[in-house]
Amino acid sequence: MRIQIIAGLLIASVAGGVYAAVAITQQEAIYRARDKVLPALVHIQPVVKDYNTGELKKQEVVGSGVIFDAEGHVVTNYHVAGKAERIICTLSDKEQVTAQYVGGDPSTDIAVIKLNLDTYKGKLHVAEFGNSDSVQVGQYVMAMGSPLALSRTVSAGVISTKDRYFSSDVRLPSGEQTGNYNLWIQTDAAINPGNSGGPLVDMNGMVIGINSRATLFANNIGFAIPINIVKEATRAILKDGKVTRSWIGVHCQALQELENYFGTDGASGVLIASVDPGSPAEAAFLRAGDLILEMDGKPVSARFVEELPAFYKRIASLKPGSQINFKVKRGDQDYNVAVTTRPLGDLVGEDFECPDWGFTVKGITRQMLMENQLKDTVGVYVVGVKRAGAGESGGLRAGDVVVSVDKTNVVTLADFVHQYTDLAQAKADKILLMVKRGGGSRLVLVKTETPEGGEIHD
Amino acid sequence: MTERRRFFVVGSALAAVLCLASFIPVTAKAQDFDFPMLEKSIRDYTVIVDVKIELSLGMQTNEQEVRLLGTIVDDSGLVIFDGSQLLNDRTFPSLNGMSIKTTPTKIEITTMDKKKYTAEYVGVDRFTKLGFARITGVRPGELKAVKFALGQQFKLGSWLAGYLLLPEFVNPPIAADVGMISTLVESPEKFPLTVGFSPLEVGSVLYDEQLVPVGILGPLMDPSSATADAGGMIESFGQSDVPLLGVITGERLQKMIAVPPKKGEVDRAWLGISLQALTKDLADYLHIGAKGGIIINDIVKDSPAEKAGLQIGDIIYEINGQPLDIDMDEKIPVFQRRIAEMAPGTAVEFSVLRPTDHATDTMKIAAKLEPAPMTATEAPVYEDKEFEFTVRDIVFSDYMARNIDVGSLNGVIVSGLKQGGMASVGGLEIGDVIQKIGDTTISSIKDAKLVMEKVTSQKPTEVIFFVWRDNKTMFVNIKTDWNPN
Repeated sequence: MRIQIIAGLLIASVAGGVYAAVAITQQEAIYRARDKVLPALVHIQPVVKDYNTGELKKQEVVGSGVIFDAEGHVVTNYHVAGKAERIICTLSDKEQVTAQYVGGDPSTDIAVIKLNLDTYKGKLHVAEFGNSDSVQVGQYVMAMGSPLALSRTVSAGVISTKDRYFSSDVRLPSGEQTGNYNLWIQTDAAINPGNSGGPLVDMNGMVIGINSRATLFANNIGFAIPINIVKEATRAILKDGKVTRSWIGVHCQALQELENYFGTDGASGVLIASVDPGSPAEAAFLRAGDLILEMDGKPVSARFVEELPAFYKRIASLKPGSQINFKVKRGDQDYNVAVTTRPLGDLVGEDFECPDWGFTVKGITRQMLMENQLKDTVGVYVVGVKRAGAGESGGLRAGDVVVSVDKTNVVTLADFVHQYTDLAQAKADKILLMVKRGGGSRLVLVKTETPEGGEIHD
Repeated sequence: MTERRRFFVVGSALAAVLCLASFIPVTAKAQDFDFPMLEKSIRDYTVIVDVKIELSLGMQTNEQEVRLLGTIVDDSGLVIFDGSQLLNDRTFPSLNGMSIKTTPTKIEITTMDKKKYTAEYVGVDRFTKLGFARITGVRPGELKAVKFALGQQFKLGSWLAGYLLLPEFVNPPIAADVGMISTLVESPEKFPLTVGFSPLEVGSVLYDEQLVPVGILGPLMDPSSATADAGGMIESFGQSDVPLLGVITGERLQKMIAVPPKKGEVDRAWLGISLQALTKDLADYLHIGAKGGIIINDIVKDSPAEKAGLQIGDIIYEINGQPLDIDMDEKIPVFQRRIAEMAPGTAVEFSVLRPTDHATDTMKIAAKLEPAPMTATEAPVYEDKEFEFTVRDIVFSDYMARNIDVGSLNGVIVSGLKQGGMASVGGLEIGDVIQKIGDTTISSIKDAKLVMEKVTSQKPTEVIFFVWRDNKTMFVNIKTDWNPN
């Protein structure tokens, strides 16, 4: 008994000594890293447009960002600034400036804004991007940002995992599928709502990730987008305002546990689990169960789910219209298959508010079909229906697809906007919509006349 | 898991007592029933029905016993009882195809002179929720049946007599009761509503003051809570929250007795349209004079509607010359019920308005109804005991619910999964459409059964399922564990 206690004490004191010794240098390192990034930290207050309730509502939100070039470009999350109408930023010296939305990429949840520095007298600090490929599990990191709107907050921790995988079903509040093309750096540095878009910083003061997600009701499980992914996205956004991707329409699955069935060792090959109807992959006769062995002459593999985002990214990174030469194993035979990529296009369509009719719609893109169980992109998608509004009274529901307005077919959002504008201008008081709902259709009569007793004023 | 179910429902009994207390007018004319006489005549055909019910939700099953009042309604031994507890067949679209199913496993009939018979389950009428069973091994002339009066005129304020089944510890088992016609409502057809009876008496024969059997006591159905599947076929009505009771009339009963509903067989006709009510607003907008009707919004390919030449946008305002006063969606079940209750093969003539650009054409269109497609709960299932999952065939409403072309999906749908079973642990999910098992393409539960039987005899270490889930396909590997103990 006594021996055990002594041993315990010994370890404790040794550990204490080591800890104290490390603590000094670590403290210095923290100060140094802090001073390289904290001055470039930005507290972002965008006013974002929200169409979900059937009317355009403006919401003030809070997020974080970091200045990454001398022109005043700030990187943040798409879910912070992507739908921003106006943006106010507070810099580290507590000075406020406005900012302009430059562009964004919902797939990686990255957006770029540009500070309006005309009237700013202070000195602009720029943070440096590091290399997220060389991060280590257990490495010390700091998260900086405005958790719960508390600006200029630094929290510290380690990298918990550097290759966290999320299935592709995650969606942004504005509806876009996100995270298909990257893994995530997981950290126990505290990340809370408001930290979104802020930097994850290593002890050399380099930004190695952009903090984007946290797990609610959990302690210190936060996720950052690796900075190498961010670098590519910001480069494209600065050039074109968006990231252009190629699409071939395959969904792949990790080979793990399926090696025997497909008669392979799993060391090579990417398994196609599903092929989208009407996609380039379908046109090239690729099908579920095909094993892609090579892409443009180079071997590819995805035995584990963690390897899938890189494969998707490889296809997506090609210029739309490129030809990919796959070597595919189907059964016992190998085939060469050429697939010509098409542009991925917008994940969701543009939003539009019909104040007179009491609902909001968005255009339908190809990428919305599967999620919303739609057969084609014809019509406009009802995003929200205002409570007690004309649309709701007529029986319209969120998720309906409007395919005609007063017997005129609506194919695109532009068709719908045209119809709406004309009818609103003519002050039409009864409008007949034909909507698709699930496998059926319905007529919806929108009556815009004011109820008896006239308008209600308060 | 067997639990003895008390058929005394305190809440509803209390409600019924309250009804009695508050609604019977004190000055009402004293009713005059010769109860000793009535009791003598009903002894022949009034029976007690003991039903053992298996209730399954996914793969969880539960057994319960219920005791109900029943009535022999024909010489072959057909018995009617309150079947509402047997109609818990529902498919929840939100759970992607999982279904609750009730299966009566044993029915025992006891006559008033304590003779016991076994009976076979026939079915439940989805509109009145009356259950049907047929006594087995009946010799001709052995049983007497009730004969319901037809063409009865129900008058507001007239009295009716009925019987309720008492709890088992009471002898004799039944007791007399009276009630009064309180109003005539549409639900969705004419339905004489009563006060004075209790929900315990549902299924009891009702008699007028001359002791003529005029109908059976049934609950008022709430048409607005009718569960229709995505194809617009009505599956059943919800019961109104307040236990409102009334008379299921002799005419209605006669139809059901002639052709009792059969479990697992499609007993409904259909037209194959999706529809909505011609509201006053819509009629005004379309400049149509009809007081109500049905607007056809979609027509199913190869359906009776398509064959008859009905078109999208047509408005049906009469069936066989009878006007349809459907001016709100809540009344749609009236139409659906009228169609559903006709035998498949029936010829129907619709009066139709067809709005064109400049005018509205009026025409008569004759259609020949066909059997409605099976619903998810009617679809045959295969249960695999080894992997602990249940699959069913794909039905019409699956296509509608997923908004995909009818016939475009091949396979069987996972409708049950036992927690901790091999299928569940291996990653199959409720609602998955299994398209291949190993290398074998699966098109029906027959295919699934054959393959799974082969798998069970060969005992491989893993089985690969190719499934359709969330509009995508994927492979699911189920590692087998043949001797878990």
